Amino acid sequence: MQISTAATAKRTLFRYGLAIGLIFLALLVSLALQNSFGNPFWFFFSAAVILSTWFGGAGPGWLAVICSTLAVMYYFTPPLRSLAVTPHDLPYFVTFVACEMGVTQLISWRKRSEDSIRQARDELEVRVAERTAELKNANDALVRQMAEQRRTEETLQATRAELARAARITTIGELTASIAHEVNQPLAAVVANADACVAWLSRKMPDLAEARSAAERATQGATRAAEVIARIRSLITKATPEKSRVPLNRVIEQIAALAEGQAERNHVAIKLELSPDLPIVLCDSIQLQQVILNLIVNGIEATTSVTDRPRMLTLRTEAEDKGQVRVSVRDSGVGLNEEVMGRLFEPFFTTRPKGMGMGLSISRSIIEAHGGRLWAESNTSGGATFQFTLPSEDGLTA
Amino acid sequence: MKEPEPVVFVIDDDRMIRDGLQSLIRSVGLRVETFASAQEFLVAKRPDAPACLVLDVRMPELSGLDLQLKLRDGGIPIPIIFITGHGDIPMSVRAMKEGAHEFLTKPVRGQDLLDAVQKALASDRTLRQERKEANEIRGRFESLTPREKEVLELVVAGLLNKQIAAQLGMSELTVKTHRAHVMEKTQAESLAHLVRMSEKLKSVSRK
Ligand SMILES: Nc1ncnc2c1ncn2[C@@H]1O[C@H](COP(=O)(O)OP(=O)(O)O)[C@@H](O)[C@H]1O
Ligand SMILES: [Mg+2]
Repeated sequence: MQISTAATAKRTLFRYGLAIGLIFLALLVSLALQNSFGNPFWFFFSAAVILSTWFGGAGPGWLAVICSTLAVMYYFTPPLRSLAVTPHDLPYFVTFVACEMGVTQLISWRKRSEDSIRQARDELEVRVAERTAELKNANDALVRQMAEQRRTEETLQATRAELARAARITTIGELTASIAHEVNQPLAAVVANADACVAWLSRKMPDLAEARSAAERATQGATRAAEVIARIRSLITKATPEKSRVPLNRVIEQIAALAEGQAERNHVAIKLELSPDLPIVLCDSIQLQQVILNLIVNGIEATTSVTDRPRMLTLRTEAEDKGQVRVSVRDSGVGLNEEVMGRLFEPFFTTRPKGMGMGLSISRSIIEAHGGRLWAESNTSGGATFQFTLPSEDGLTA
Repeated sequence: MKEPEPVVFVIDDDRMIRDGLQSLIRSVGLRVETFASAQEFLVAKRPDAPACLVLDVRMPELSGLDLQLKLRDGGIPIPIIFITGHGDIPMSVRAMKEGAHEFLTKPVRGQDLLDAVQKALASDRTLRQERKEANEIRGRFESLTPREKEVLELVVAGLLNKQIAAQLGMSELTVKTHRAHVMEKTQAESLAHLVRMSEKLKSVSRK
């Protein structure tokens, strides 16, 4: 601000100085040439006025007009060396002044309009430049934002996949409160309605209509319970059955490592007998992990009450003929009596106080969905062996 | 005067359970009203009759426990039988502390529920009776003059007429007259009866 006013003042001074200088120059030249021409020769003043107006603007132009008028009056109109003008010279002199004034006016108009056009153009350019810069900034920001969003989405996706994986690994075999609630709810309806049905029938005057509608509601409740179970089962077994080529031995090693903590706490030794030349299997690795983890946890739980022999869990893989691989989980636990053997794979069959009885049922669904088999045997030396088969890759392509 | 017909309120967000419980309770000849939520129950008109509440603990929005607190704060004394899923033990402890009548786990055995309902209704009947009697007695006691009330206090505290006269600065004869009025207005048949009534009043207003 300060600087710009100072600069303007300097420029103004220069413009007026220029006008005075030019008039002075015109005066000198005119005086010098006066003797070569007979007539008063004023045209240099016109040139000075034009130049002053052109370069200095209206103010200096008018200053030049005034100065040149005075100079002409003083030096070139008789009586010389005086500001007076003789009546004879007056029309001539007035014409001169009028011409000077007209020229100044015209030029300053012209100059002003040109200036304003230029200024408008400059402003426009500045504004265009500004807008361009703004747009570029906005664009850059957008690009950055998009990149960031993509990164966030990728992280989110990864986290979600990780969570889903974790959730699926934990849901199986372990009782989750919400599933229990889901199943318990229709069961409560069944019990209430069945009891109501009996109550209506055991009245002195049995009310058959009431008994019937209660029985119907009991049936509905049971159907709903079955649906809930089917939903849970399909949630666990059929959600994204992404089949890929799975190195079975690696998966077993990983899951064994995962179960190591629980095994140690229960003083169970886990032994791996993995066949070195096992064909690749084609399956959903997460579901496979669930099955193996479930069998291992069952095995560990079966050995916790054993005190008279070593607590052992042996995981074994072997290639079968006919393009199949076999996995077995052998424990030295309580073993399977006849009653348990017959009902192992039923949904909700459990002998554990905190068990849900879904583990084996779901595991069997998973293995059968992969075209394999899952079964249980009693060991002659005590304990149980759970085994499953899966088609191997060469078996599938054959 | 005949006692109004008792009513059992069933609140559960699950329609099938609600209908089952309703049918079960109706089968023993009791009147039942069902509600799908605690809010529905709160805005409904409740009959002036012995009642009890069969309440699901786990419900969306206002839970069974929330309703229990609301009823208690609103001065609506009604016995509550809670029904809960497995594993809600901390919850049941809380509910019992707040005076739940009974706590049954899902699925509830029919006979257990019916027994609990009968017990809750009986207890509500007794409580209503007590409240009614207390109200009657309060009405009678309130008709006493301030002087008579003073005399009553001292009589009940076991003072003799002479002592009362000394303490209140009146003649023994005046005390006797006041005393007769007190006995008459409160319809007391004996001194023991008077003491019992005044005790009852205190114990009910304390609750
Ligand atoms: N390795 C095993 N040894 C002995 N019994 C077993 C073994 N695995 C499973 N069982 C029996 O089968 C039942 C069902 O198992 P499962 O379906 O995994 O459900 P949960 O583990 O919840 O009980 C168990 O409760 C147990 O009685
Ligand atoms: Mg299990």
